[in-house]
Amino acid sequence: MGVEALAESLGRNILTTTLGKVVGWGRGNSVWPAQFGLACCAIEMIATATAGVDIGRFGSEAFRASPRQSDLMIVSGRVSQKMAPILRTIYDQMPEPKWVISMGACASTGGIFNNYALLQGVDKIVPVDVYIPGCPPRPEDLLNALMILQERIKAQGILPQQ
Amino acid sequence: MTDTITQGVTVTKTGEKGAFGGELLTVNFGPHHPSTHGVLRLIVDLDGEQVRSLKPVIGYLHTGIEKQMEALRWQQGVTVTDRHDYLSPPINNLAYALAVEKLMGVVVPPRADALRVIMSELTRLSSHLVWMGTSGLELGAMSMLMYCFRERDTILDMNEEISGFRMHTSYIRPGGVMADATPRFLEMLDRFIHDMPGHVDEYENLLTNNPIWRSRTIGIGRLSAEDAKVLGATGPMLRGSGVAWDLRRSIPYSGYENYDFEIATSDMCDCYGRYLVRIKEMREAVKILRQALDRLPDGPVNVDDRKMLPPPREELETSMEAVIHHFKLFTEGYSVPPGDVYVAVESGRGENGCYVVSDGTHKPRRVKFRSASFVNLQALEQMSLNHMIADMVAIIGTADTVLGDCDR
Amino acid sequence: MISEPLIVEQGVSAGDHWVTVGSGSIRDALAELKKDGFTLLVFLTCVDHLADSSRQWPARYELVYELRNLEKPEQIRVRAFIDGDPPHIDSVHDLFPPANWEERETYDMFGIIFNDHPDLSRILMPDDWVGHPLRRDYPVGGEVVEFSEEHETWQTPPEKA
Repeated sequence: MGVEALAESLGRNILTTTLGKVVGWGRGNSVWPAQFGLACCAIEMIATATAGVDIGRFGSEAFRASPRQSDLMIVSGRVSQKMAPILRTIYDQMPEPKWVISMGACASTGGIFNNYALLQGVDKIVPVDVYIPGCPPRPEDLLNALMILQERIKAQGILPQQ
Repeated sequence: MTDTITQGVTVTKTGEKGAFGGELLTVNFGPHHPSTHGVLRLIVDLDGEQVRSLKPVIGYLHTGIEKQMEALRWQQGVTVTDRHDYLSPPINNLAYALAVEKLMGVVVPPRADALRVIMSELTRLSSHLVWMGTSGLELGAMSMLMYCFRERDTILDMNEEISGFRMHTSYIRPGGVMADATPRFLEMLDRFIHDMPGHVDEYENLLTNNPIWRSRTIGIGRLSAEDAKVLGATGPMLRGSGVAWDLRRSIPYSGYENYDFEIATSDMCDCYGRYLVRIKEMREAVKILRQALDRLPDGPVNVDDRKMLPPPREELETSMEAVIHHFKLFTEGYSVPPGDVYVAVESGRGENGCYVVSDGTHKPRRVKFRSASFVNLQALEQMSLNHMIADMVAIIGTADTVLGDCDR
Repeated sequence: MISEPLIVEQGVSAGDHWVTVGSGSIRDALAELKKDGFTLLVFLTCVDHLADSSRQWPARYELVYELRNLEKPEQIRVRAFIDGDPPHIDSVHDLFPPANWEERETYDMFGIIFNDHPDLSRILMPDDWVGHPLRRDYPVGGEVVEFSEEHETWQTPPEKA
């Protein structure tokens, strides 16, 4: 094979890109959520994983039971004052980089329960990347939030700014 | 204490000797555990792999619903009732609506009663479907989740058609229902009733004679009829122990006495018995739906009381009085005569009741929800003693506790 | 049924039969009812009558026991009024096992001490919580919502803002 032919065949098979884009692409398309259900929204989260909506199309069907293996926490439901320290611990146990979706009105703001028992928004204890409105949001809303998060992850590169 | 919670599953030695020569271990199970159906925490003493004592710890989903209801007006409270047992919202609405109506001495029209029965039975079906899907998943039958949620989505589509909301419908309100059924809803319901028995057959083909399912549920989590009665268990927990107690038959409400259905019971007293009861209940629910749809009476769906329910939209443009009533209702609300009342309805989990105390103002003095999960969970220790820890998953699953209902 | 000397008052509220007994004789009254077939304690709760002017109340806290006879079926509501800080009443957990958690919940939410309860601890709120949320003098809590009447900037006149 001559040098020209070699150069030509390499040109067809080699892409040049930045490492950040490749890592972002990989991370964004394999977001593994922690299997962490709280209240009503958890049922819709389960519905998102079933055949009708199929979160697996976006590479996130692997709900991990252990926070050590997951990089997305979907806070699906209301967070009580008693649950808040546990939620924070689970977040701390997740490896970097990690992201949080606050699913539903209760997780985002306390929703209709403006009272002593509930944390008025999960962003008081963990940083939230995407908020989903709704009580509970439809499964399609969760997919939309996941796609927004994927775009963000892809743009972040190697070292995501937390 | 907090250390053991936050570390997930933590093991400590109690120093006591077990039956097999080893020491008893105290294991913390939950609240973040995939098989506890929410945020239930259990502290289990283990001898080898066998459970020697068990203490449930609840409250991780305490929402302050009862306090919140005291701060809301009577008609606003309906939205809060939806969210306490989030697998059967219309049934919670029904308990609250019946309690308020009983205090006010209001009787709803027959069409409203029939629509309430339809919504209750649809909800019972969807609640059982979620139970069967998730319990199947936990015991290794992953396809159950896919099949059950397929039919559940059909029910949620119907919810959306009739009320505009998938899960928390707030459809049943004091004084009637939110709106009349649309022709499309009745058409969807008819198709659903036609298809559903075939789907239940499908589930039975997958589970009833499945050797894995049978070996993981038969003889597991035994609860005798006496124990179930003493521990106050209701719903499929009680009927799975062979006691034919169903509030729809024993203390009928919303015209349930006019429907022909059987009370599902099983004498097996174990997890499998409770499974059979739920399968039977799904078939009976379809039967009730068919009767309700065929005999759906015509007429209004709300009481004709302008002090309690807003006037129809078209009246607002022509009638001054309608505008005044509308304004009064949405600024001040209506008041309920002083007194207290308790109304119980049969939800998918057992007796869900509502105890309402009024002091004559436009807000309740006290609303107490009697939740089936809260009481049924107390039978958990009785059921799981001397079982393997892996069987706990089946036992928690078939007890079908909803933690939102339990912690309120 | 409950023997005559224990009954303080009885009546019907919206179709439900109720009986008021003295707070000291609640165990005797419930034991008699249990003997008569009222074997299921449907629920147990408390009502705080602080500043309730709709009626004259004998005391601030009203304990409500709803019992059911599964054979008939028949229901009866037993009330007992208690005062004090903290208020005390006898536990019925040995007569009706479901009362165990219900009494813990009532203690958690209203601060009522049930004498001889095996494990009277908080059940819904965290162990280190201060106060009893369902008492009427406990605020609903939560956060001030923007544009609501309670919001500070909403109340501040424009010249002071």
